[in-house]
This record gives sequence, structure tokens and C-alpha cells, in this order.
Amino acid sequence: MAKTISFLQAINEAMAEEMRRDSSVFVLGEDVRIGPFGQTAGLVKEFGEERVLNTPIAENAITGVAMGAAMNGGRPVLELMFCDFTMLAMDQICNHLGQWRYITGNQYAVPITIRTAVGAGFRMAYGHSQCLESQLLQAPGLILVEPSTPHDAKGLLKSAIRSDDPVVFFEHKKLILGGVEGEAPEEEYTIPFGEAVIRKEGKDVTVVAFGFMVYEALNAAQELAQEDIDIEVIDPRTIVPLDQDTIFESVEKTGRLVTVEEGRIRGGLGAEMAALACGDYFSLLKAPVQRIAAPMVPIPGSPVLEDLYLPNKDSIVRAVKRTL
Amino acid sequence: MSLENEKLLELYRKMLLVRAIEQTHGKLLQEGKIQLMSHFGTGQEAVAIGVAGPLRQEDILFGTHRGVGEYIGKGMTAKDIWLEYLGKKTGLCKGKGTLHLCDRKVNIPGLVSSLGSDFSYAVGTALSAKMSKTDQVTLYFVGEGTCNQADAHPSMCMAALWKLPVVFAVCTNQFCEFAYMDEHYPTEDVAIRAAGYGMPYDIVDGQDIETTYKVTEKAIEHARNGKGPYLVEYKTFRMALHHSGDPGEYVKSEDLEKWGKRDPIDLCQKKLQDRGILTGERDQELRKAVQTEVDSAVEEAFSGPDPTVDDLFEDVYAQKEVI
Repeated sequence: MAKTISFLQAINEAMAEEMRRDSSVFVLGEDVRIGPFGQTAGLVKEFGEERVLNTPIAENAITGVAMGAAMNGGRPVLELMFCDFTMLAMDQICNHLGQWRYITGNQYAVPITIRTAVGAGFRMAYGHSQCLESQLLQAPGLILVEPSTPHDAKGLLKSAIRSDDPVVFFEHKKLILGGVEGEAPEEEYTIPFGEAVIRKEGKDVTVVAFGFMVYEALNAAQELAQEDIDIEVIDPRTIVPLDQDTIFESVEKTGRLVTVEEGRIRGGLGAEMAALACGDYFSLLKAPVQRIAAPMVPIPGSPVLEDLYLPNKDSIVRAVKRTL
Repeated sequence: MSLENEKLLELYRKMLLVRAIEQTHGKLLQEGKIQLMSHFGTGQEAVAIGVAGPLRQEDILFGTHRGVGEYIGKGMTAKDIWLEYLGKKTGLCKGKGTLHLCDRKVNIPGLVSSLGSDFSYAVGTALSAKMSKTDQVTLYFVGEGTCNQADAHPSMCMAALWKLPVVFAVCTNQFCEFAYMDEHYPTEDVAIRAAGYGMPYDIVDGQDIETTYKVTEKAIEHARNGKGPYLVEYKTFRMALHHSGDPGEYVKSEDLEKWGKRDPIDLCQKKLQDRGILTGERDQELRKAVQTEVDSAVEEAFSGPDPTVDDLFEDVYAQKEVI
């Protein structure tokens, strides 16, 4: 049986279900008992203050607290309210979190899930709007997840909480706050990492879009269809591990690749995919890879400027046409 | 503050072992037989052995980069230390951690490079102990230099806020890397910061093993009994330089002379002899046995198996295929 749930509900249900299932799972972060965006709202009622822990405002230290708890049998779900604030915890996330298992010779795993909100569009300017997923690409040992639908958000978050590897889970604010709804099974389910979904099949151009950009790509597909251009839209769902098989099987069919992300272009997710395409899969390409991403400028607060900054349907349409 | 004869003798032996490991490390470096840099804790043995001594096996210890004292104190062996130091496949960290000692058997979860990052791990392990209602205590052993890291503050704040079973053991050895402490601190003591969190603290002599042991034991029991965190500051002196390549021109010779007269091993040896627990002859035997233990550990480590290319890609993730 399927039911309709919102993206916000999906996140909330995933945590609640895992907390019911496993008493070592607990939630911590700044104001999680209230839930600033609502993901953790209500959990304290069912699970009590001990398992829904409000922390002081100290991102690097609270990440370390979660890590320490995980080294000692806990399975924490840490909320770092805005992705921009994960930069305050970069020491823990990039220097230690993903490397602890390796450097201790597999004596200690650090099974934590860090949830953080990404994305612009709320006129909040440079410090509450960034998509900084690619900053974490250089850190070994991390799983990076970015769902685009309520179904995937729930299934992937449950997998993240059960994972014995540390996971950073990106939630786009337009999905959390925009009331995005979708179908999800009533019954228990999880989704494995590293399995992309083809959101729309097509034969002409492969468009790989991450997170909220999946919707912009689908809008672009509709517009392009009017000109008889048939694009395939792939949603990787996890950035690490990346489902290269699904992506490049598609490129084998189309010979053309457009990458779409909301983060900035330099050293971004698209840069990594373009490097893969130009290396292992070069013989498949019939046209240069096109990267759609934000420009290398800070995010401005002005509605006019912010809209100019963001990648959207129109920029995707133009990029697709450049490959043809 | 006196300890039972057997206990004191055991702590003395461990201090000798620590010094022997470090002196052997220095010798191997000088002879060009190893490259592994060192940060010795010469002169601080009574602090390291004294703080780890009262911990139970199930208690958690986070140690420092300086010397092997607390690691030996918590139960690591010379053999395991050397296998790891030389990067061998049979090291506890499979040769991947080297200086970053970690031993799950005795609950040492590892050592960070960016000092102070683990301040909060100690709060986390203590939080987990409290949540699972065990009586496990975490001891966070740290130098005064590292106490200026930003995370020291929120970590101590959370430990006190949540009344967690953690002891902060601050080894004030008068130096922060290449500088005297007064270039880093406006105050003489670090421990007074604990008052800001409503956390009890003591400031004690770090040269006398009975003092360091007993005071730590009291702090650990405080934490174990659900009374929250405790901070102890031990005053000692780093007779070694910051690391093996430090020219050390900044160290005043009068300080070395003054503190050299209160060497913790000499002080303990005198106590043992005064109490009739140790004869000169027995002492020589003990020292010889300790050196033999270290030498055979080093020898075994040198002949230990090196890791291979497969090991380079092992243990990044729970499942290898993710990479």
C-alpha cells in the first residue's frame, strides 16, 4: 500500500521509525526539540529529552560529541541546521570522521548521520543558502546522500541511520519547506546507496541532476519535448557512491552529457563527472560535456540577483542544445 | 597519600618502561634506523602513569601525542606500540595509524593529529555511557597547549551541562610547542577555567606518582558516581624538546636543572627504597628487564610483516566496493 507524504514528513518518519527500531539511535543538534525547519518536530514527545538532545551552538564540537558517542555504541543523527554551518565542523567531517575507521585499522567505526539543509531561493544571501556538497568530495570514507523525493528521502535516511559508515545527508530547503509531496510505501523500506533512478527516459541527451535540480531538469525536458528533443533525466540520489553504471549506460545511448547542480561550478560535482566522462568514458561522447552549476560568486540576497545566480530550467535547456 | 607497596612498585615499573620506550625511540632515530618523529614526555611520566592508573579496563582514555605514558598506563604493550610505530601489518591499526595509537582491547579509541579535535569525542563517549546507563568513565588527557583549542570550551560546557562521567586531566608541562606557557596564557593555571562551568577542579604536583594517582582516582570516582565532570591540572615540566628536530634554544638551563632534581622516576625510586620495598640490586634487575622487554618488542616489530597494496584500500568503508 502506498500513501502520500511530504518531504518533511519523510525525514521525520525515517528518524522516528529508526528510533523505535534501535534504542542506540538518538537525535542531537541545535534546537532539535523544536525542529527549526520541522524535521525533528515532535520526536521529543515520543522519545523523551534524553534521545532528542538540544546542544549548544558549537558545530565542530557537537559533531565531535556525535562521533564520540558513535565510537562508544551510539548511533547519533546530528542536525547541522544549514549546510553553510557544516563548514564550522570541517575539521571533524574532513579530517577525522571518514578516516577514523581506516586510521584505527578498523578497530573503531563512526556510524553517524549528519543531516543538513542546502539550497538558495529564500533571499537569505550568502551564509544560509549555499550548496556545498562538493566541498566534501575530497574527504575519504564518507557517504554523501542527496534525495529529491519524499520516497527517496525516507528510504535513504533509514539506510543512512543503519549504515556503519558516516553519512552526510543533504536536504534541500525548497523540498523541506515547499510542501513537496510524493508516494511512499506504508510498509517498511530502505534504499541502498549508489543506485541512481532514471526520472525520465530519453534518447538524445543524458542530463544528470542532483537534489532539487531534478525538478528543473524535468521542466526542461517538457520544454525540449516541444522541439522534439528527448532528454534522459538521471537522479543519482547518492553523490558518493556514484552510480556510474546507470549514468554511463545512458551516455552510451545518447553520446551526450549535461550535469546539473545548484552548487558552484569550480571543482563541483559536474567537474568530477566531466572528468570521469573525459577519462574512462571518452569514446562514448559525441559532444563536449556541459556543466550547469552556479557561478563563482557569493550568493546575493536581492531577489533579482539570486534568481540570476541560480541554475534553472532555462540554463539547462540552453546547455542541452549546445550538445546537439 | 600513600599507595600500597605492590601498586607503587607496579607504577614505578611502568614509568621505567615508558622512559625506556622513549629513549629507545630516540636512539633509533639518532642511528637513522627509523624516520618516525617523536614527541617525548620525559619528566612527565608520573602524570601519564598516574592518570591512567586508576582507570578500569572498560573506562575510555583519550591520550596525547606526547610520549607513550598514558597508553602504557592504560594497558597497551610495548610490543603493540612498536608494531604500530613501525607501520606493520600486524600493528593494532594495521600500520595505518603509526603515532596515532589506538587499542580497542583497553578502550583507547585513537589519537587525532589536529590536537583538541578529540576534546568533544570524550564528551561523546561519556554521553553514550550515561545514555546506556553503564558506570564507565572517560578520561581526557590533554596538554595545556591544546586547552587553547576552540573546542575545549564547548566540550567542557557540555560535559558540565549534561553532568557527564568525564575527567579532564590537564598535563601542564610549561611548554606549548616551542614556547613557554606564558606566551600562550594570561594566567598561571588552566584549571581555573573549570569554575566557569561550575566544574570542580584540583591543581596538583605532577612529579609525585602517589599524588597524581590518588587525585585522579578521586576525580574518576566523582565522575563514576554520577556527580559530573572533574578537572585536574598536574604541574610538571617537559624535560624533552617539542619533537626530535627541535633545537630547543628557548629552554632555560636553570629550569632543566631545577626540575631535573625532581625527576618523577627518581622520586619514586627513593620512596620505594625508603620504604624498604626496593633494593638497589632489585632496581637494577627491574631496569634491565624493562629494557629487554623494549628491545625484544623493537626487534619483533622490525621483522614484522609490512602491509601490501591491498591494505591501502582496506577499511575505508565497511564494504570495500564503495570506494
